[in-house]
Amino acid sequence: MIKRSFFTLTKPRLDYDLVEPDPKEPEPIPIPSNLTLLLNEPIDSTRQALIKKGDAVEKGEKLRLYNQSTEYTISPVTGTIRTIDTYSDDFANISTYLVIKNDQSQTTQTDSITYDLKDDIASADEYLRTLPGAPPLKILANDDVKINTIVITCADMDLLSTTNQYITLKFLDEIKKGAQVLKKITRVPKLCITIPEGLNIQGGFDSIQVFKTALTYPSNLPAMILKDHLSMILPAGKTPEDMGVCFITAEAVVSLARAYKTKSADFEKILTVIGKQGTQYRVKATIGTPLRKIFNTFSIHVNEQDRIVIGGPMKGFATYTHHHPVLPDMDTVMIQDRDIIPEVSDYPCVNCGNCLRICPANVPVNLLVRYLEADQYEEAADKYDLESCIECGLCAYVCTAKIPLFQYIRLGKHEILKLRAEV
Amino acid sequence: MNNNKLTVSHAPFWHDGDSLFKMNLNIMIATLPAVIFGIIQFGAPAVGVLALSLSSAMVWELILNIISKKKISIGDLDSAVIGLVFGMMLPATSPWWLVITGTFVAVVIGKMIFGGIGANPFNPALVGMAFLMLSWKVFFDFDTAYINYEFDFTALAPLAALKFQGAYEVAGLFPIGDLIMGKQVGAIGSTFGLGLIIGGIYLILRGYIRWEIPVSFIAGIIVTALAFSMANPDTYAGPMLHLFSGYTLFGAFFLATENSSSPANRIPMFIYGFFAAVMIILMRNIGAYADGTVLAILLVNLVNPLVDTIRPKALGKGVNNA
Repeated sequence: MIKRSFFTLTKPRLDYDLVEPDPKEPEPIPIPSNLTLLLNEPIDSTRQALIKKGDAVEKGEKLRLYNQSTEYTISPVTGTIRTIDTYSDDFANISTYLVIKNDQSQTTQTDSITYDLKDDIASADEYLRTLPGAPPLKILANDDVKINTIVITCADMDLLSTTNQYITLKFLDEIKKGAQVLKKITRVPKLCITIPEGLNIQGGFDSIQVFKTALTYPSNLPAMILKDHLSMILPAGKTPEDMGVCFITAEAVVSLARAYKTKSADFEKILTVIGKQGTQYRVKATIGTPLRKIFNTFSIHVNEQDRIVIGGPMKGFATYTHHHPVLPDMDTVMIQDRDIIPEVSDYPCVNCGNCLRICPANVPVNLLVRYLEADQYEEAADKYDLESCIECGLCAYVCTAKIPLFQYIRLGKHEILKLRAEV
Repeated sequence: MNNNKLTVSHAPFWHDGDSLFKMNLNIMIATLPAVIFGIIQFGAPAVGVLALSLSSAMVWELILNIISKKKISIGDLDSAVIGLVFGMMLPATSPWWLVITGTFVAVVIGKMIFGGIGANPFNPALVGMAFLMLSWKVFFDFDTAYINYEFDFTALAPLAALKFQGAYEVAGLFPIGDLIMGKQVGAIGSTFGLGLIIGGIYLILRGYIRWEIPVSFIAGIIVTALAFSMANPDTYAGPMLHLFSGYTLFGAFFLATENSSSPANRIPMFIYGFFAAVMIILMRNIGAYADGTVLAILLVNLVNPLVDTIRPKALGKGVNNA
């Protein structure tokens, strides 16, 4: 954890990690006997489900809950469904999880089912949403959203993560091929790529515009890339997609290239794992592998009251179980010892102004938090720029009173969307 | 298989390690040069006043915590800072009941009834001071307070002398070097100009106070005092006398910078600091008080919410051209 320096005349500076110049191969994690998959649709007991406990599934088979379902997941192994149950995330969004028992031994692995992939976005969206890196095919395939720029992010968004940088270094050719595939299937005119400053990339990208992003957090967040490199100011409350810009990770682009080459899906996800002492490991695990397996490989002991953070120290979320599976969009897993978990407090704001000075979006956090604490979400959005927040988490990082500012803001945004949906 | 309960909380999972306790501790450390000098200069009574002030302020908060059935909050040292700052503004000869009454007003009326830390619209120590100054004015006459002391410098309070005799008469009585080195009569913690500056710079470097407020405050003192002095040098003293006497430097670094009663945006901080200083010189030169620092900063505390609305536009606010 990066602490405050003794002299803090200027605001604190958090830097992204750069991948080491000659990175080691990731540690392969053997496919476990049970895999967990998440399906972004709640169980509806009144309807007849397409899948049930005990069903046999094939590697690469598309699994949907109901006939009309648009959400799906792909089984990474040949096996049988052991459990189908309800999962709820940290914002109480209800979805479903499936546990699949792996019926194959390590040696006799069959090939994945091949798909009928055509050169259009609809057929890619039909099968490839859960590729490692989670390509945003759903957005790209949506006719209501007009995307005119795709940004490939080789620079990881959160601190400590080097997953996408590693992929950029190792599989540059496949990124270029994937970019061609993207261009062909989406017909989006403009492709850009973000590369962190200091990462040495051999050769150029013809027809792809390269953005060298600064190493200072939060310069790799979508809103900052729009502002710094595309000269677009993200209006409050809008997403980059509303502005016609779609972000896709380097890993997703590589997966797309492979999927189009083999006409089948790949399930090996690359992850940066950060141990309790800050040691970084890189692993290659099948989607659905419980995190427990990864910790066991590196003899990381998960004790009572430790914290498992998925997705980096600034923007991630904490899970309540070490059985949590590896997901397609999971780039980083961090484990924190109970002794170093910083406490939060229920103190009021003391108006020290640290949050104001560090906020990259000029949000008056000191005033905003007073309204959020009092559940005055509409006023917070109208007068105190709630929706301008780009969700970098720096305000809560520097808060002297240790107020969970970022959580207040995220909750406020969530509530304001709910309020608007009700109207 | 182990099924340990994990800690589940929300992002960010890092913190820079700062806390209110550390902030207040650093403010107290920053007062040390001036405090130690005050104790050397005014002796044991100064220790008594400071100790009583600091401890009674904490006790008042503790009592309020208990009767309002709230969590005990004295551990953040906020009322300790109020007590210490308050004690530093008193003459070393203040009677015990004056100190206790003052900290009662400062902590209970100045801070706790507004909702505790962060909710006070005025600097609590100044609320206490203003109350005492209006009620028992006689104790704040520094000339009579130190009647039994023997000093090796002019034993006259510079600002009072200036007020009643004019700049022409006091010229030469108070060399600037003496004032900076604390050779003047005044409150325990406000006489040693150099020590206050060292403490203030320490706080600025540590990031616990914003440099904009002291800098604009000092600039305001210099500009306004210079303007007066140029208009009528016989009546109005030059900026240096104003800067290094009374509560001026103490105000610049420790009073005006109190977090919750001062602005947090850059331009408002400049306005706030400058305006406070202008008010001080106006009160000293044409008002009734010899040293207007306490009332001037209280007045500018009142303006704080208004000036702090001048702030930069948030990202993407008012942009509809998407």
